[in-house]
Amino acid sequence: MEAQHEIQIAAAPVSLRAETHAAGRGRLRRLTPYLYLAPALIAIGVFVYLPLVRTVQLSFYQGNLLNPMRLYVGLGNYQEVLASPIFHNTLLNSVIYLAFSLVGSVLVPVSLAFLTLQLTDREVDFYQSVLFVPTVVAFNVVVLIWAFFFLPTGGGLFNSLLGLFGQPPNAWLKDPLWALPSIALIANWKLMGFHFLLAVAGLKAIPKEYLEAAYVDGAHGWSLLRHIVLPLFAPTGLFLVIITLITSLDAVFTPIRVLTEGGPNNATNNIMYAVYSEGFRFFRVGHAAAISMILIGLFGGLIYWQYRLLDRRVNYDR
Amino acid sequence: MTVRDARAAWTSRLVLLFATLLVAVPLIYQLGMSFKQPGEIFVNVLSPVTLNPTLNNYAVVIQTVPILTYLRNSAAFSLGVTVGQLLLAVPAAYAFSFFDFRFKNLLLALVLISLMVPFVVTYVPNYLLLAQFRLINTLPGLILPMLGVSLGFGVFLLRQHFMSFQREVMEAAMIDGASSWQILTRVVAPANVSAISALAVYILINTWNQFIWPLLIGGGRPEAYTLTVGVQMYFTNPEGGNRWGSLMAASVLTSLPTIVIYLFMRKGILRTFTEGAVKG
Repeated sequence: MEAQHEIQIAAAPVSLRAETHAAGRGRLRRLTPYLYLAPALIAIGVFVYLPLVRTVQLSFYQGNLLNPMRLYVGLGNYQEVLASPIFHNTLLNSVIYLAFSLVGSVLVPVSLAFLTLQLTDREVDFYQSVLFVPTVVAFNVVVLIWAFFFLPTGGGLFNSLLGLFGQPPNAWLKDPLWALPSIALIANWKLMGFHFLLAVAGLKAIPKEYLEAAYVDGAHGWSLLRHIVLPLFAPTGLFLVIITLITSLDAVFTPIRVLTEGGPNNATNNIMYAVYSEGFRFFRVGHAAAISMILIGLFGGLIYWQYRLLDRRVNYDR
Repeated sequence: MTVRDARAAWTSRLVLLFATLLVAVPLIYQLGMSFKQPGEIFVNVLSPVTLNPTLNNYAVVIQTVPILTYLRNSAAFSLGVTVGQLLLAVPAAYAFSFFDFRFKNLLLALVLISLMVPFVVTYVPNYLLLAQFRLINTLPGLILPMLGVSLGFGVFLLRQHFMSFQREVMEAAMIDGASSWQILTRVVAPANVSAISALAVYILINTWNQFIWPLLIGGGRPEAYTLTVGVQMYFTNPEGGNRWGSLMAASVLTSLPTIVIYLFMRKGILRTFTEGAVKG
């Protein structure tokens, strides 16, 4: 309401002369969309694109959070990071995390979604709703119950279960071998229900008549799934793979921060967490920026691919 | 006519029930342990529920943790980001839906791509920017960057809804001499109230659950802790022995608001998450 008054008041002096009236209105009309966009674009520019530019700049300097550009080092940060065995380790761990996610956040939810073809809508709604709960609760807070499950002593849940079978306790998050799979399990526990929701939505988008026609023609069980459902589901499956690849390192971020901080001995570290710990634990801002740039370089292809899919949805949907 | 058969249906049902139970176990434990006596935590580990429930853990949390301060911070942070993002996203989506202008596709691409930039890349530069303006450990410092970092989602989602809006209605309003602002506030926004409120709930839940960002920006001053940060600080606080019960009570209190919202607005929330699947 107020802004509407502003527009009228702003337009009033222009109407003094007929010619400027028309010209002024025309200019205002041409500017209108930009006025609606400006606040949003400024916010995105200042807090997303400016930081990207800043990251490029910081990657050529050595410094800390108080004095980030203390010393110009050229490509020094990149050379140091790329030569570091710890960084190679974080890259390898990142790939292992991605592999776990392809199972836990694509294969499992998609398989479960296929099972819903056999169920009524009400049942599907129930499973979707319950499996989705981990998505709406604060992640760092539910991670704490996993801290109890993974307690390295005999008292935790998992070690108590091992005890039932006469097995000695496992150190889990403190064991370099088990720490990464444990963190991956927590992250996939959170993502699974969300991806199940998306997979079911993708299945529901397949016209029922196709399935029923194939069923009448004798395609049952596996052959129905293999020859009819899978090909029609492929675009949703591809979309799930891409968002899983993009978000899986994001999803392990919180459990790593709360439970292991990248340890033991970098066993749970990955390239995204390395950006954070270089910047905010070791205060090597230049290294953090260089790793950010490498991260963007590695994920750039994926991001572009996701953007193409999204763009198609934006421009050809409806 | 369906593609079901009885045996496959029962197998599917069993597998899904089992999977659902596995996913629910941590949540059941969290709730159950919050009612356990301290002495019981390591005695009946395999049972999430207790026969002697106590509210003592909740009393301990409320007495020893300034939970009301954290609650106020979480509420102010979430509401600030939600209102701010709506004020920015609604007009932007409107412009992208109903206007033709130069650089439209480029600007839309910039908005969409902003969503895919990994958050962690923006942490250090945004921290430095806020430090420059002395906004570390302040509420505006928490809120402002969140208005840009995840704004693209709302613009994208609302645009999808606005695009399907009946153009005839708009043309009628234009013929009646309505200005573009009047069309937005009196025609487009009211007609899309359900999409806009679903987006509001989505942003509210997402912001409430934020952890890393409020830890970086508000973690230096207890008066600036959100609930998520407060619970984490309670977890890492070296004092006290067996605090699992009270820790779980604090966790339940933090999760409760979003769970309640979810219970009441489940359908809209599930739809918004499905439609807007861009980034977790």
